[in-house]
Amino acid sequence: MGLGLKWYHFALWIGFIIFMLLMPEMVSKGTLRTIIFANFLAIFAISWDILSGRTGYISFGHPFLIGIGAYTTAILTKRFDVGVEYAIPLAIAMTMIGGTIMFLPALRIKGSYFALVSLAFMELMYQLVQVIRPDLTGGTRGMSGLVTLTRGAVNGYYLSFTIMIIVALSMWLLMRTRLGTALSAIALNEESVKGSGLSPTKLKLFAFMTSAFVAGLGGAFYVHYLGSIAPRALFDINFVFTIIVATLIGGASTIVGPMFGAFFLTFLLEYLRPYLPGAERYLIYGVIALLLYMYQPKGLYQIMINQFNRFKKDEDDG
Amino acid sequence: MVKPLSIKNLVKNFGGLTATDDISFDLEEGQSTGLIGPNGAGKTTIFSQIMGEYRQTSGIIELYGSDISKLSTPARIRLGISRTYQVPRPFSDFSVLENIRVGLMPDSIWKMITQGPNREREIELALSVGFSEDDLQQTPDTLSMGDLRKLEMARTMATNPKIMLLDEVFAGLTVGEINQIAKLIQNMRKENMTFLIVSHDLKALEPLVDDAIAINYGKIIAQGAFSEVISDSAVRTSYLGTE
Amino acid sequence: MLEILIQGLLLSGLYALIAVGFTLIFSVGRVLNLAYGSYIMIAGYVYFYFSQLLGLPPIVGLLLAGILGSCMGLLKYNLIVKPLKGDHIPVEISTLILAVILQSAIILYFGNSAKILLPIFQGVIHIGNATVTYNVLAATLVSWLILIVLFVFIRKTHVGRAMQAVSMDSKGASISGVNINKINMFTWGISGFLGAIAGVFFASYTQLSPSMWVAPLIIAIAIVIVGGIGSIIGTLVVAHIIGFMEIISVALISPQLRGVFTMLLVIIVLIIRPKGLFGREEL
Repeated sequence: MGLGLKWYHFALWIGFIIFMLLMPEMVSKGTLRTIIFANFLAIFAISWDILSGRTGYISFGHPFLIGIGAYTTAILTKRFDVGVEYAIPLAIAMTMIGGTIMFLPALRIKGSYFALVSLAFMELMYQLVQVIRPDLTGGTRGMSGLVTLTRGAVNGYYLSFTIMIIVALSMWLLMRTRLGTALSAIALNEESVKGSGLSPTKLKLFAFMTSAFVAGLGGAFYVHYLGSIAPRALFDINFVFTIIVATLIGGASTIVGPMFGAFFLTFLLEYLRPYLPGAERYLIYGVIALLLYMYQPKGLYQIMINQFNRFKKDEDDG
Repeated sequence: MVKPLSIKNLVKNFGGLTATDDISFDLEEGQSTGLIGPNGAGKTTIFSQIMGEYRQTSGIIELYGSDISKLSTPARIRLGISRTYQVPRPFSDFSVLENIRVGLMPDSIWKMITQGPNREREIELALSVGFSEDDLQQTPDTLSMGDLRKLEMARTMATNPKIMLLDEVFAGLTVGEINQIAKLIQNMRKENMTFLIVSHDLKALEPLVDDAIAINYGKIIAQGAFSEVISDSAVRTSYLGTE
Repeated sequence: MLEILIQGLLLSGLYALIAVGFTLIFSVGRVLNLAYGSYIMIAGYVYFYFSQLLGLPPIVGLLLAGILGSCMGLLKYNLIVKPLKGDHIPVEISTLILAVILQSAIILYFGNSAKILLPIFQGVIHIGNATVTYNVLAATLVSWLILIVLFVFIRKTHVGRAMQAVSMDSKGASISGVNINKINMFTWGISGFLGAIAGVFFASYTQLSPSMWVAPLIIAIAIVIVGGIGSIIGTLVVAHIIGFMEIISVALISPQLRGVFTMLLVIIVLIIRPKGLFGREEL
């Protein structure tokens, strides 16, 4: 398939997986709970990256997709006593339908306009879940007492890490194929993609569906980890901000960048906790994100690649 | 015999302006035709309609005998017709090889995933338009205008066309680069490629074409062998500005 | 009926005031300033600090808020928009990050809890069944005043015409000798000032809270999208469409559906007519 895999790719992935599997032995339960959040954030950031990082169709309303997945499984399990083994796949399917709805405007508009429509989708969803059938959605308060899949931090950690690593690895491989190149080409010049005999519509639809699949998967498992769902926390511009910043800090359009961005941010917040206990941590976090983004829009991934190349060059010269 | 490209009564109106006014012509298999005329005569508009970037107001465009008027641009390209642009439009962050790779891709997501890039063919195409081995990893921002045109030729050739429409291929090129592109076109003519070429540089165009079509104000004013067309008095008046 | 009419007019006036600064930036600089809501939030707090905590006269608080908003606009332009060369998506992402930073800064200083802003103008007036506070009435009047002044300014003055030129074709304007940089600076300054004035009125209409920037931002976005780029008249008309739509849905359908129709309108207009209803004839 011409993925261009080198020995160090295998080494890095295996090393990372082993390190993460040993994590519960090394850290406290509290830290483990933090990493669980990082795992879910990584899934959401990867979902955003597949769509926005790759194709340049910036989504400011990604919680719209995540929310469809989360609400579908929450309603099915709580109100209709459907088992999670059916509810989660159905939730993912619903999210992919949501992804198709979000794709429709992308047939006509792009750039800032698309970004704004996606934001409007999120706001619309926020308002609708509170108003339409509050007996199902739980209205403004949301729902609690949902089925949880795991007990204890260690099990929760293993489940979330397993999902995250499968998503990350499969998407990383997928984006190394020619498909990844074609999707990036859409961000660079959609007209030239057409002029190369490829249908941008087909490619974009694929990107939206894949992104929705991952968002739905993450959203559904997340809600069954938390055991509750609240519209204000979900359809929140701060949540959008966290997803986007994780992706950009790590490095958009790289899949592994968003994954590490999510870990970096979660730990940054965790380490700031003793000094700045409240929401003020977002101040530092935001400033770091903004400076980094202005300095290197391609994120830490690119900074590391540049360092690596410089190191290699020194070695070659010396 | 079925013509590779046959255009019948093509009309395009933009509001009150008629950009293409009842144009009809055929291209012959393996022949090269020049499309000439002054600025704003409607040459690029004809290209855009053939490729489906604009829809014609009326008229028929046939590719090997079948009407392609309702097909999308990518669908037309897959049937074997491709064009270059006056202003090259490369993928800015991609290397030369990656640019060509996009042109080589099949329009099937499944095949994009399961089949790897054909590196030999990418390199072959890059070298055939005159890139050197060192250029293959360059990105468009480091390339000259001539290189960008070569890259566009290579990406267009990658779609495996039977008919190529070239729009102002020589604009902004050095003499050396013009010779390079001319040689490339000559080689493809030997392999029976059908060409329709727009150029202002008649001197460079002459050896590359068999026939010519001259247009002015969206109408054909002369058609036939290249030497006859450029000595036609109406063409000289409109295009060369001399009697 | 009369009440709907009055409430609709008042809300629409406030919305027009909120949106006009946002329209200016979108028209002249062609970028969406997603930190626009922060002018509104910060102005509310600045007014709160000077007029309510320090006890300065309301008009001083209002002016100070406006000046600070103006400075913020200039800083944003010079530190973010210019280095990013006005690239749309990067500017939008950076301003979104900035908005969250400013929200955190406010929490750090003023705390997370909501605060009630005393009305700028005390008292109420009864029109039929409707009770109207002087405060909201003042917001509407100020809004109309600002829109008229701005409209005349853009039509009649040299700088205004230059803004118009930049908004239509910045390259062309630059060739004809307009200093794009100066015009942009001016626009960002004005936009910040207007946003801040709107912010003080908006804060006294609702209440002060660190997350209060989101709602007005979304309203400004909605108005500008539906109205279309570069149209002050469009802003005014659409502010009334949205204002009345909200008041009518609150009065006749359900208060909770208030925002739903606005969002639907935004989505539909963007898909059917991305230029907006009044796009691109005039500034």
